[in-house]
Amino acid sequence: MARYGMLINTKKCVGCYTCVAACQRQNNLLPSEQFIRFEERETGTYPTLSVETIPLQCMHCEDAPCAAVCPTGAAHIGTDGIVQVDQGRCIGCKYCMAACPYQVRVVNEETGTVDKCRFCTVSANDGTAMCSCVEACPTGARIFGDLDDPDSEISKAIAELNAQPIAGDLTKSKVFYVR
Amino acid sequence: MSGNAITRRGFLAGTAGVIGAAGLAGYMSFDAWERAYADDSDTHGTVSTVHSTCNGCSNKCGFTAYVVDGKLRKLIGDERHPMAKGKLCARGYAYAEIAYSKDRLTDPLKKNDKGQFEAISWEQALSEIGAKVQQIVSSDGPGALAMVQDPRPSGSYYAKRFMSALGSPNVYTHGAACYESRESGIKQVIGANSWTSDVANAQMTIFIGRSYADGLRPSALMAMEKAHEAGSHIVLVDPRFTNSQKFADEWVPITPGTDLALVLALCQVVTTEDLYDADYVAANSVGFDEFRESIAQYTPRWAAEKTGIDETTIKRLAHQMAQAAPACSIESGWRGPSGCQYKNSGELARAVACFNALLGVYNQKGGALLYPSVSAGKLDEGKFPSPPKPQAAQVGSDEFPLAVDGSALAAVKAASEGSVKGFFFYNSNMVGGYSNPSYLAQVVSGCDLSVCVDVQMSETAAACQYVLPDTSYLERSELPAFAGGAVPSVSMRTQVIDVVHPNTKPVDEIFTELAQACGVGQYFDFTMDELAAAQLASVGVDVDAARQMGTVYFNDKAFSYGSTPNWKTPTGKIQFASDACKKAGYEAVPSWIEPDVMPMGNELRLIEAKQPIHSHTMTANNETLMGITKKYDLTRAWINRSFAENLGIADGDTIEVSNEKYTGKIGVHVTDRIVPGALYLPSAYGVTVEDQHTAYGVGLRPADFLAFKLEPGYGSAMAHEVCVTVKKVNA
Amino acid sequence: MQFEPIWGVPIALYLFLAGLGGGAFIASAFVHWKNPDAEVTRKAGHFIAPVVVAVGLVLLMLDAQGGFHHPLRFALLLHNLGSVMTWGVIFLAAFEVIALIAAILEIVKRTVPMWLEVAGSVFGVCVGAYTGCLLGVVKTFPLWNNAILPVLFLVSAISTGIAAVILASLIAAPEEADKLDDLKGFHYWLPVVELVLVVAMLFIVNSAGEAAHASVTSLLSGAWAPAFWLGFVIIGLVGPTLVETYLQRAKGANERALGIGSEAGVLVGGYLLRMMIVMAALPITLTVAWL
Ligand SMILES: Nc1nc2c(c(=O)[nH]1)N[C@H]1C(S)=C(S)[C@@H](COP(=O)(O)OP(=O)(O)OC[C@H]3O[C@@H](n4cnc5c(=O)[nH]c(N)nc54)[C@H](O)[C@@H]3O)O[C@H]1N2
Ligand SMILES: Nc1nc2c(c(=O)[nH]1)N[C@H]1C(S)=C(S)[C@@H](COP(=O)(O)OP(=O)(O)OC[C@H]3O[C@@H](n4cnc5c(=O)[nH]c(N)nc54)[C@H](O)[C@@H]3O)O[C@H]1N2
Ligand code: SF4
Ligand code: SF4
Ligand code: SF4
Ligand code: SF4
Ligand code: SF4
Ligand SMILES: [Mo]
Repeated sequence: MARYGMLINTKKCVGCYTCVAACQRQNNLLPSEQFIRFEERETGTYPTLSVETIPLQCMHCEDAPCAAVCPTGAAHIGTDGIVQVDQGRCIGCKYCMAACPYQVRVVNEETGTVDKCRFCTVSANDGTAMCSCVEACPTGARIFGDLDDPDSEISKAIAELNAQPIAGDLTKSKVFYVR
Repeated sequence: MSGNAITRRGFLAGTAGVIGAAGLAGYMSFDAWERAYADDSDTHGTVSTVHSTCNGCSNKCGFTAYVVDGKLRKLIGDERHPMAKGKLCARGYAYAEIAYSKDRLTDPLKKNDKGQFEAISWEQALSEIGAKVQQIVSSDGPGALAMVQDPRPSGSYYAKRFMSALGSPNVYTHGAACYESRESGIKQVIGANSWTSDVANAQMTIFIGRSYADGLRPSALMAMEKAHEAGSHIVLVDPRFTNSQKFADEWVPITPGTDLALVLALCQVVTTEDLYDADYVAANSVGFDEFRESIAQYTPRWAAEKTGIDETTIKRLAHQMAQAAPACSIESGWRGPSGCQYKNSGELARAVACFNALLGVYNQKGGALLYPSVSAGKLDEGKFPSPPKPQAAQVGSDEFPLAVDGSALAAVKAASEGSVKGFFFYNSNMVGGYSNPSYLAQVVSGCDLSVCVDVQMSETAAACQYVLPDTSYLERSELPAFAGGAVPSVSMRTQVIDVVHPNTKPVDEIFTELAQACGVGQYFDFTMDELAAAQLASVGVDVDAARQMGTVYFNDKAFSYGSTPNWKTPTGKIQFASDACKKAGYEAVPSWIEPDVMPMGNELRLIEAKQPIHSHTMTANNETLMGITKKYDLTRAWINRSFAENLGIADGDTIEVSNEKYTGKIGVHVTDRIVPGALYLPSAYGVTVEDQHTAYGVGLRPADFLAFKLEPGYGSAMAHEVCVTVKKVNA
Repeated sequence: MQFEPIWGVPIALYLFLAGLGGGAFIASAFVHWKNPDAEVTRKAGHFIAPVVVAVGLVLLMLDAQGGFHHPLRFALLLHNLGSVMTWGVIFLAAFEVIALIAAILEIVKRTVPMWLEVAGSVFGVCVGAYTGCLLGVVKTFPLWNNAILPVLFLVSAISTGIAAVILASLIAAPEEADKLDDLKGFHYWLPVVELVLVVAMLFIVNSAGEAAHASVTSLLSGAWAPAFWLGFVIIGLVGPTLVETYLQRAKGANERALGIGSEAGVLVGGYLLRMMIVMAALPITLTVAWL
């Protein structure tokens, strides 16, 4: 079974929000439901500075605190390792939101349930699918694929660019960052 | 509706589809069909794909729409489209919501005596407008009518034809608030309106007030990224540290309004140090001696004083460029400082074109490319009779002779003086931002006739007597859109979904019916489809094939490096000196001109710029994009940290921005990303129309601070010739 | 981007009321044991406990919109025995049942058996501690994620519970209130313990990284400072302690009014503590070095 992950290259991220809008539209989310959020860091002083734009979204943690605390089992790790929220079980208690160290879970204002990046529930089909944010990013800052396949584009890129989870081994994240 | 039905399996395979249990909810949150498709399984069959083009901005990127049982589900940027190159931007995805927007115009409207709009029938609207038009034409001549339109494939054809049929030459674009000075200035030098910098293949490119990552065009951003990865030296001259910095090597902060001094000095260095391509200049240009003589005064030291860029940097940039030549260029810019923003914008455009000429970079690999283009050939006069060429000169052409497209603002000036009596607007929100909105609204609403064709209640629509509801771009097919490029192409906007509001009409029908109502219907005795087929046939392309493919390339017209362009100037040469400019009151050779205003004391120059998620005035009402704006507080003004500290202003405070035209409050972002003398406001906000429920009242609109003043000779808006003061607002 | 607290007033109230309910039951059991004739006071505790816990649970359900729209989903709350919230639901349910039985026994004028008082008190402690553990296990917020918080919440729960019972007593049966010396003596020290715990907690948290420091700063000198100093420290802890100290020396003088004021102060302080802890906490993601 594939172990899906994503690589985000912040050196290529221009903060254009295309991934957000694409995710929202292709996944039919509400305007207030953004699965990707950004942290921006400005360093240096005028006129010598640099700005880092870091898109954050569900890291599909192998040690997922959201799933650990969810009382109803709505937040869970699927058999394919993709962390999911069963919308039919979620009561909207937001405990998972508190527990997620990356603050990437959002409330759906209409249903009151909590949702987050689904890796476009890729595995529900046959594993060939692509995430909308990856597909949309104009600079190719994102790569999606099978972390267990050493020949996959993502595995090679992680090795080559020395991509790391954003918070070390905090939660065994499957999203890797180049910074 | 054209579309090729494919099976569901094909849909998934073809898109490398993302349709999982949850992802299936579909594409638009248009409730009715969301519900219908929420639990999609294999129950509904007809998935079709349609190639069309985005209307989120003038790039008109091509995409493939995936439509399920008539409802738009997914958009994928077309690999084949020259602007998209497979990608759409955030606006491209979100603006598709316009079709289902709750603030759409659904019926023709007429303003009553109380200034409120009432829905009327198309018959009434057309006959009343027709009668008014005929009345104006008979009393003041057709030259008293003007049309402003943002060039879109069908719009520009039909709007222009409609006006020509009436006998009026007064067809304008948004140019005066965008590109007019740049294209006009460049045209004076090289005879073309612009060039495309071959960024991806360059050794060095200087961008002057142009940000590929903010004023976004996907293909341009990708080219910049490619250049960066290939080690090309990329310099951004900008008062702001823009998002393009990700792919640049250098930020050269500049005092806004002084780029002309920088470029004159760059020219000075390469001429006085004999670093220019003398053979090229001798073979291709006129006026060089006069230019060389005049340019000597613009030393780097002088420019350093004006621009705030130190002398050594200016010299170094000139040397580096000379070294990189001809695989380098100063990028042409778009709106930025040479587009329409300063009293010296046109002069800046000329100076830039001259600098590139000095280095002989035109049509060289990595240089500044004059791409070939293709346009429709002659059509059957029997079926598509050409209206006679209007007799009168275009309004404004005497005062602003350099303006290649004329100046819509010159027509406003004429209207304020009473010589223009009727205004039409198509896909243009002139009032919302070509110059001071309240002044423009006053002039437009004071006209005998004002008609706006739009999809939502814009500021312009709100100022007009008649508002006619267009279909959205997803609900109509249009004429072919020809585009110049490395390989010239033609792309098709093809109807994606059925018309949502039954009483809206596509642009071609609106203008055809208007023409009939005005008594000139004989020039419109054909359908859009017939015209599209004929236009394409004239260049050897089959219309159905074009719609099937989305974009068709003219490979036989492809560009090749190294050719000498055909300089389409009056002299047939690159003009370092221009008679036309001299006649218009400028020096024959590009020369320093002070900006119209300079901030004094504690004043700041108000500059505006695009954000990647909004287009001009038209996307602020988009809920998804505005959701992003709100999440990240993107309406905030930027001011420099040290300046702010002096005034006791901290990040996140609310400030009052004011000048003699306007005063408004806004949150502030205190940052090192901007030069000390400027205040930046994003340009998309401050919508004043209540009917735009999402956008209304959010943020400030830079144009409100602007006085109605036009750049001499060019007629541009001088959008940045404005100073403001700021103070902290207590709590 | 400004951080929006995940939970707001309803959850702060819920945590407060759950703790208060548990504490009130314990106080009532204590009175039952030590002051068997202080009937009104005991009854008050037995009534307060199930009512406030029920109100708290309703608030919780209102806040959990997804469940509110589909109430059957609340049954799923018992699904994950690894979740503190699941334990909480179990504790609360057990406690609420016991408290209701006790209240019904009071209504039908039957004695609440001592074993039930003990069982209720045990679950009361569990409920009080749970409210702290619920937050305490969340690693995202350093202000929550420390060992002191559950203890602090438990002490505060008992303190507010006793305060509520004494308050009821002062209002409904002042003559009984006079005799509650054991309870009051115990109660007297709780704010002092709380104060020590708060100081210790903030001291430890303050050095636990940037987000932690920022959270502590916002309490001590930032946006939450007025609530912290005036509401929690003065009105909720120091004030009641001073009043009680004064009352122990000068018995009689305005005793009832001052007592009411001081117990109300404890309640206000107890609520503010929950609200501040819930809403002032900043997540590590906003400031930690890895960003
Ligand atoms: N996201 C987005 N993209 C768009 C559009 C849109 O509306 N939104 N519209 C399209 C259109 S029509 C246009 S015209 C283009 C515009 O594209 P651009 O011309 O790139 O956009 P602007 O944001 O107007 O200005 C570019 C830069 O000029 C800088 N600037 C301002 N004053 C000065 C100055 O005095 N000197 C220098 N050197 N720089 C200065 C600003 O800080 C800004 O970074 O974008 C196109 N693409
Ligand atoms: N305030 C402000 N003013 C600006 C700018 C800015 O960013 N902010 N940018 C400047 C620049 S660079 C430019 S190029 C110009 C652009 O100026 P315009 O081309 O006028 O662009 P917008 O202001 O976006 O207005 C476009 C109008 O067309 C309408 N529209 C959209 N789709 C359709 C359609 O399918 N059919 C019809 N009939 N109408 C449609 C929109 O609702 C909107 O009212 O503005 C300039 N002025
Ligand atoms: S689309 Fe790509 S470049 Fe744009 S914000 Fe997202 S990750 Fe960054
Ligand atoms: S990132 Fe957050 S939401 Fe995603 S699995 Fe990890 S803890 Fe859960
Ligand atoms: S909000 Fe939903 S997913 Fe999150 S913890 Fe509660 S029940 Fe689980
Ligand atoms: S993987 Fe899919 S759901 Fe996740 S952020 Fe990207 S587009 Fe959204
Ligand atoms: S750049 Fe964006 S908004 Fe403009 S046409 Fe392309 S996708 Fe549409
Ligand atoms: Mo523009």
